[in-house]
Amino acid sequence: MSVDWLSILDAQGNVDESLEPELDTETLEKFYRTMVLTRMYDDKALKLQRQGRMLTFGSSLGQEATAVGSAFAMKPDDWFFPAFREHGVQIARGIPLSLLYIYWMGSEDANLTLPPKNFPVAIPVSTQVLHAVGAAWAAKLKKQNIASVVYFGDGATSEGDFHEGMNFAGVFKTPTVFICQNNQYAISLPREKQTASKTLAQKALAYGFEGIQVDGNDILAVYSVTLAALEKARSGGGPTMIECFTYRMGSHTTSDDPTRYRQAAEVEEWKKKDPIKRLRIYLEKKGIWDQSREGAMIKEITDEVEKAVKEAESYKPVVENMFKYVYADMPLHLKEQMDELQGFISKRRGDESG
Amino acid sequence: MVDVKFPDVGEGVTEGTIVKWLVKEGEEIKADQAVAEIETDKAIVEIPSSEAGKILKLVGKEGDVIKVGSTLASLAVPGETVKKPETGAPEKPTEAKPAEAKLLEEPTEVKPPEVKPQERPAEMPGRALAVPSTRRLARELGVDISKVKGTGPGGRITDEDVRKSTVTEAKVEVPQAPETRKPEAAPVEIAPEIKALEERIPIKGIRKTIGERMVLSLFTAPHVVSMDEADVTELVKLREKEKKMAEEKGIKLTYLAFIVKAVTVALKQHPYLNASLDQKKNEIVLKRYYNIGIAVDTPEGLMVPVIKDADCKSIMELAQVSEKLADEARTRKIKLPDLKGNTFTITNIGSIGGIFSTPIINPPDVAILGIHRIRDMAVVIGGEIKIRKILPIVLSFDHRVLDGAQAARFMNTLIEHLKDPDLLLLDGV
Ligand SMILES: Cc1ncc(C[n+]2csc(CCOP(=O)(O)OP(=O)(O)O)c2C)c(N)n1
Repeated sequence: MSVDWLSILDAQGNVDESLEPELDTETLEKFYRTMVLTRMYDDKALKLQRQGRMLTFGSSLGQEATAVGSAFAMKPDDWFFPAFREHGVQIARGIPLSLLYIYWMGSEDANLTLPPKNFPVAIPVSTQVLHAVGAAWAAKLKKQNIASVVYFGDGATSEGDFHEGMNFAGVFKTPTVFICQNNQYAISLPREKQTASKTLAQKALAYGFEGIQVDGNDILAVYSVTLAALEKARSGGGPTMIECFTYRMGSHTTSDDPTRYRQAAEVEEWKKKDPIKRLRIYLEKKGIWDQSREGAMIKEITDEVEKAVKEAESYKPVVENMFKYVYADMPLHLKEQMDELQGFISKRRGDESG
Repeated sequence: MVDVKFPDVGEGVTEGTIVKWLVKEGEEIKADQAVAEIETDKAIVEIPSSEAGKILKLVGKEGDVIKVGSTLASLAVPGETVKKPETGAPEKPTEAKPAEAKLLEEPTEVKPPEVKPQERPAEMPGRALAVPSTRRLARELGVDISKVKGTGPGGRITDEDVRKSTVTEAKVEVPQAPETRKPEAAPVEIAPEIKALEERIPIKGIRKTIGERMVLSLFTAPHVVSMDEADVTELVKLREKEKKMAEEKGIKLTYLAFIVKAVTVALKQHPYLNASLDQKKNEIVLKRYYNIGIAVDTPEGLMVPVIKDADCKSIMELAQVSEKLADEARTRKIKLPDLKGNTFTITNIGSIGGIFSTPIINPPDVAILGIHRIRDMAVVIGGEIKIRKILPIVLSFDHRVLDGAQAARFMNTLIEHLKDPDLLLLDGV
């Protein structure tokens, strides 16, 4: 038994032609633009947080290929279950930037299940694994031809929820794709302290299904592997676990100082493996991309991001929404609580104006 | 005009130190451009401005501690007519609150339903409200957190509250130096850097920690210093002989390595020196592990990396590990765990100068050994004057735990092993 490793586009932008996926220009441009958009969205969020305009935020700097590559392998009808660092997947799946900002600004309103099949952010580590396996099992029972994709970090693999989900998926052959964003750290805990296993992907072997490791900074490899795993899942082949080997270039969140637990040299090494840079070289070599297009795109994205921030900051939260999102039909006890809160608010408003 | 504020940049952060201004008064800045670097207890962060404009005023100096929510800088936004800052009086704080101050304040305008104080979940009696890092700080400084009065939100105890309560026990006032003044109307333009008669260096970072720890140590542990000399002529010969061999292995064979080894041997024979005092329980804690702190002079101040389980390491290993740790400390690459867990500390002043010193014990240890420069000295041996290599050594110890006789016995064992390094072979593990 072993775990395969896949890489197609290396850090210098050289492609392994025997493995190169057939993608048209438009798709490749979409990959690139979404990765850059994700990075600029991230960067803006960090600035907003430092200006007191946003709450704690975890950047996905350096992990854009994992997010965007896997997202574009999915179909809109596949279920998507994020942890909290999947900004690139959310953006690729068409969730409006403003809504993402609203959530990180602390408004519960934005934490909702969005059509067609996007689950909200899960802060409690690994809980989403169970939800994803449940959704996949339901889809299987209903004979729907869809898969369920769940994202989690290397740290999440030490949680019981992860193992329960993996075990269930293996036994019931649910159409689940487990995407582990191994960014080498769970806050300050390095990957080698997380598990004595050589790879994270090999955990799948213990549960009786395929696990594969992929260069998580190589969007072509991530895309190809996810595509294959999804096709397998939809056609009854059962689950797959994909370990995307990547690196969290930034801090865990805005409350964290990574210089206290990792060496600058390590970060420098990973800088050389930047996922965006290598795709850009690849596109330039193909004659698809150049400096002037880059400049125009950056300007366009800057405007897009600024517009989203404006929208987010002018948003007024609707208190009732937090009662509405949890169940398809609101149960009685939530209805009572909502009525009580509404009564309280309108009374206060009356008190203030009168 | 818009104020750039110091916001809550990390969960539970209440204050920060201005490390560096990244812009100047009068400078035009872009939106999202960083204005200052601020160090909080979590990290050093850059604070960007939310708007573009011209910096009218920077509030505070580098090194100043500022509270979350206070203004860092004020900014004239484009299109705004600004009074010339040099003619107008410095802005009063009341002026800095313009009616149209938007952006930062607006979201909070939507008033959340206020929770009446009595509706807050009842706190557990006797349990002080503080985040774990503050509790740890209190533990490290030996402060009983239940006795500290919190000044943070909801009566939460902040790091500052804890630090203050240690200072009230042993109140040390930093002497107030007179204001820095420039000579009035200097006739000739002297080099600008010597214009100021005094310079003020803010106490922060490592300097601050050293100060706090030393105050804590010196004002709680009654220090006694014992001084002696070791004849290390044989040790010098041994080192000279083996230096080459070590070099070939890429190891710098230092005297410190031999001394650490001798210290661990002596500590094993005199366990009360490898101990700490649990004041709460009124117990002496004898430690059966030997983690030796090594004081290192770094550009930012003294740091004490710790050689873990020094007794289990060979002299060559000790040489290697101590160099590595010292190096990491100097370049600030050292990891936090390597700065903790000391059971005994050695300070090597010899490389710089001085014959004797009175080191301050490094908490939670009960003793610290100071070693000085090895010199050629005339020594009387068997009625004859001989030239020998002499190493002056000093030991500061906590008189609550140890007495002079014990300390002297420890020193004797140590001196014996430094004098006759063969013994290290026999006694060292
Ligand atoms: C159940 C649970 N335990 C602890 C936490 C605190 N916490 C938040 S993120 C995190 C580390 C997660 O690491 P990893 O799964 O590797 O994801 P990464 O942050 O690296 O993306 C922890 C421990 C939490 N949110 N939920």
